[in-house]
Amino acid sequence: MTERIVYLDNAATTFPKPPGVLQGMVETYARIGVSPGRGNHDLATQAGDLVDATRARVARFFGAPDPTRVIFGANATDALNTVIGGLVRPGDHVVATRLDHNSVLRPLHHLAGTGVITWDLAPFDDGGFVDPDAVAALLRPNTRAVVMTHASNVLGTVQPVAEIARRCAERGVPLVVDAAQSAGLVPIDMAALGISAVAFTGHKSLYGPSGIGGLVVMPGLDVATTRFGGTGMDSTSLTHSQSWPLRLEAGTLNLMGVIGLSLGMDFVERQGVEALHAREMALLARLRDGLSGHPGITLHGARDAGADPARHVPVLSVNVAGIHPQDVGAILDGDFGIAVRVGVHCAPLVHRDLGTADRGAVRFSLGAFTTAEEIDLAIAAMHVIAGTVSS
Amino acid sequence: MAEAVRSRALRTVAGRAVYFDDEGFFWDPDDWTEAAAEELARESGMTRLDDLRWRVIRFLRSYYLYHGRAPLNRELKAGTELSLLELERLFPDGIKLGARRLAGLPNPRTCLD
Repeated sequence: MTERIVYLDNAATTFPKPPGVLQGMVETYARIGVSPGRGNHDLATQAGDLVDATRARVARFFGAPDPTRVIFGANATDALNTVIGGLVRPGDHVVATRLDHNSVLRPLHHLAGTGVITWDLAPFDDGGFVDPDAVAALLRPNTRAVVMTHASNVLGTVQPVAEIARRCAERGVPLVVDAAQSAGLVPIDMAALGISAVAFTGHKSLYGPSGIGGLVVMPGLDVATTRFGGTGMDSTSLTHSQSWPLRLEAGTLNLMGVIGLSLGMDFVERQGVEALHAREMALLARLRDGLSGHPGITLHGARDAGADPARHVPVLSVNVAGIHPQDVGAILDGDFGIAVRVGVHCAPLVHRDLGTADRGAVRFSLGAFTTAEEIDLAIAAMHVIAGTVSS
Repeated sequence: MAEAVRSRALRTVAGRAVYFDDEGFFWDPDDWTEAAAEELARESGMTRLDDLRWRVIRFLRSYYLYHGRAPLNRELKAGTELSLLELERLFPDGIKLGARRLAGLPNPRTCLD
């Protein structure tokens, strides 16, 4: 195997990070790495200013009008737990989709299992898309929210959230979008799309480090406090601060992560979301075309990714006939130096519907630093594996 | 909605009753014996485990017993002096369900449980 790693697991986390992100994190943290917004010394004020500036950047990025409604957390899962837990009340009903990640499914499953809510799941079609009418058909008078992924982490399909938001709005139901796979690859203008809340993570296509993400909430959506603690404000009261964003943030923020998120977003904004997406989708089409001709390789999704790249992110899941996906991943890694993700990708219902739940699949996911040469290496490796095993 | 739960079942292999998981992996790696490996190999369609296959199995077991985990992909390759594709072909059920399972290592259920 070559020492050089071809990293095609960017949907798990982007790697490497852009030049300057890690160095900038260290330099800034070394300079002002104190508790932001706590106390009255200058360092705390400077750190607080950096956090506020990053909130403003995130709000602008997602087309949200109020930076104080940008809540920092650990990742998209953390943000989804915050918004789901803060929205639902006993007796509520929630709609999600069978495309969703466990970050959506498990909180809802838990709430349903403990008798707090009931829930329904919208299906996806053969192309990997959820029909807005199917979501609308599941709405009930007591539906508290629709919570769903923007882009499938298995199929790469970008869901029609604008149409779904319209149907939700007609019924007065907020739409909460899991943007873990789309933020940084697909423009998200919450105001224009009609999205009530977006959960995002910093370490995927926003090119920050792991451990930072957040929730962006539009005005008018009330999300109750579900975690309590220090906020640096109203400290004489035993009641948790109810002002935004503190109502949903307890304890000292991950300042190092906020710095890295801001630096990663610098990179994304310099490159341009559309330009990053277009480049990566061209490479994904190259990968799909290179694999699609082999009789031993089954492609899941991405069927029309070339014809309609705007409805996809650069993710392609495949299976090789006669070989366990975990073995494919091991061979790609050990023999060819290619890192991919195998398994069910924390999206069990997608794999159940694809018929791949028992063993999962092999997922290729591209990033800003993926090259055409690397894609060609992956295609060649897959042909060797598929040919060897089936021969 | 049903939750997937890893299950185990007791069965007799090479004269000993031991637990296996739902993919046929030893529930407890300490239950592994050479005789059990031979019997599992026959079930997989191999008439016997030859020297090369035993070399792979012994490397996997010794690595696991010393390090407490399975070898990295590159360590497996170096330790067996085989490519992973060769390993895949060497066992009818491949690397995971073949070599690793016959060596009695835990089931690497990455993102499957």
